[in-house]
Amino acid sequence: MRFVKTMTPILEVKGVKKAYRMGNVSVSALKGVSLTVDEGEFVAILGPSGSGKSTLLHVIGGLDRPDEGTVFIDGVDIFTLNSNQLADVRLHKIGFVFQFFNLLPRLSALKNMELPLTLADVGEKEVNEKAKKLLALVGLKERIDHRPSELSGGEQQRVAIARALINDPKIILADEPTGNLDTKTGWEIVELMRNLNAKKEQTFIIVTHDPNIAEQANRIIYVKDGVVEGIKEGANKK
Amino acid sequence: MRLKQTIAMAWENLNRRRFRTSLTTLGVVIGITAIIALSSLGEGFRIAVKTNMEQGFELDVLTVIPGTIIGGYSYQKFTDQNVTSMKKLENVTTVTPIMQITGTSLQNGDKKSTALVVAAVNFTDFWHIFSNRLTFEQGGLPDPSQNNTIIIGHKVNTVNQTGTFAQLDDQVNVTFTIRSFPPLTKTVTFNVTGILAESGSSILTSFDYWVFIPLTTGRDIYQTEESDVIFAQVNNPEISDKVADAIEALFPPFRITIIVPITFIRQVDQILNLIQMFLTSIAAISLLVAGIGIMNIMTVSVMERTREIGIMKAIGAKERTIMTMFLAETVLIGLAGGLIGVPTGYGFAQILSIILSRFMLNQGGNDGVFSNPEGQQSTAVNPVFSLEWTIIALVFGVLICVIFGWYPARKAAKLDPVQALRYE
Repeated sequence: MRFVKTMTPILEVKGVKKAYRMGNVSVSALKGVSLTVDEGEFVAILGPSGSGKSTLLHVIGGLDRPDEGTVFIDGVDIFTLNSNQLADVRLHKIGFVFQFFNLLPRLSALKNMELPLTLADVGEKEVNEKAKKLLALVGLKERIDHRPSELSGGEQQRVAIARALINDPKIILADEPTGNLDTKTGWEIVELMRNLNAKKEQTFIIVTHDPNIAEQANRIIYVKDGVVEGIKEGANKK
Repeated sequence: MRLKQTIAMAWENLNRRRFRTSLTTLGVVIGITAIIALSSLGEGFRIAVKTNMEQGFELDVLTVIPGTIIGGYSYQKFTDQNVTSMKKLENVTTVTPIMQITGTSLQNGDKKSTALVVAAVNFTDFWHIFSNRLTFEQGGLPDPSQNNTIIIGHKVNTVNQTGTFAQLDDQVNVTFTIRSFPPLTKTVTFNVTGILAESGSSILTSFDYWVFIPLTTGRDIYQTEESDVIFAQVNNPEISDKVADAIEALFPPFRITIIVPITFIRQVDQILNLIQMFLTSIAAISLLVAGIGIMNIMTVSVMERTREIGIMKAIGAKERTIMTMFLAETVLIGLAGGLIGVPTGYGFAQILSIILSRFMLNQGGNDGVFSNPEGQQSTAVNPVFSLEWTIIALVFGVLICVIFGWYPARKAAKLDPVQALRYE
């Protein structure tokens, strides 16, 4: 009965432009990108390196302010917000997964995972409950008291995914989540994300340069030279 | 983020770089130690000097002398009417005039002695004012109705280092110079009723070199109703300068001089306060240097943790949170520095005071200008524990850390998350 339900866009990007200054030269990373993602979708942004896909992801996640254009998340124009409110959007509505995991090296896996809850002033009891549930969900039970340096790449990425999910965000943004993993582990991580997407109905947006991984999405958005070149349904279209 | 977690995180960060943290804290410790040591020693020094000064004064006694000490010293005398009008003033408890007689010689059988001053005084009033300084070794005050009685000062009674000049109830002849030219002298016999114990030196004179006879006898000898000096005792030393103003107003301008001990003490106290402030501010500079050290180390720390800050911001940390995290670290350094520095400072002050007192003893530190009636001096400088200074030092230490930690913390908070995440 899914298709009867009205799809509401969780993300709307309209005419986003972003240029960087490299010395005296201005480099346009995004030249007017517009796209819409519905709630519960699993979307891949596919493009070669330097195509602007990472910049796009940063803008969507409220890490980078665009020069032009708007980004609506859950109906809110996020760049009308001040930096504190934007931090709150990142804390509660968005979860980030990075290529290089970006865990805090001095904290244990568990503490890394709990960090967003700590930032959100969540009580200790709730933190423990949530952490336990998520650990089972991402398939990590042992070694949670180890530091990131003592974990394998796959384990680290599972911790990072758990961290991204812990505040129940609307959107999970993953920037080349398999880019630093071997093929097998990479596939496991993609599988995990697809399962989570199916179970929790959270929206996943994955940036990748790997067409095979992009194929796993509901939709594939092709980005090249800072513009959306095309949108195609993936192997797992909804 | 909750305060408890912020502090826990800051503690963890500091603990991770123990060596660096220790060195940074050491800077604060030295600063606080210097402030505490110098302020507590300074206060001890101030109290020592003040006590020493106070021993030289009867703080509640105003000494009124005729004329001005320097410039136009016109020798005049006081009348009993002057005394009466002073007695009527507010806050004045006792007023007593004295005659200061010089150029006398004392003889007891074949033993001779000299007195700096033969003072003709009202025994009751005079002893009321100087009761602390004038204590008897032998005998006591004579019956006021008796004439020709004498009380002999300690040094006057000491002849040839160890011998005594007179005993109680001895008959002592005092020869007075009534007139210099043509010379006229008069010898009067006095009954010794008291011999004084050592009185110690005051700013004005040493009573040890004085002898005392009744005012009435003195006036009889010189056929006068006038007196040379008036002592006025006030009920509260703190307002003695106001009383002095009132006394001055009783006379035409520039006719009298009043010695107000409290003004001396106040001035010395002011100077000592300045010295103490000066020393403490020098110490404060070392804390400033420690602050610069903190700023330096925190700036390095922010650079090293750029990526970490990027991660924190990406997962939703507010600028305020990042800033608090870094400031919490500097506050902890400041607190630790203070908690170590305060006891170290007091300990250091103790050691310094011991060294200082030894040094002063070696330098013959017992030759102070003034001494108390027991002839002892308080030259020892004891460091003073002051809660006020302890709190000031602690607060100042933390404040310096916050001020110098502010810029690096703000820099951390304002980092661009995307660039911070790319930082290697």
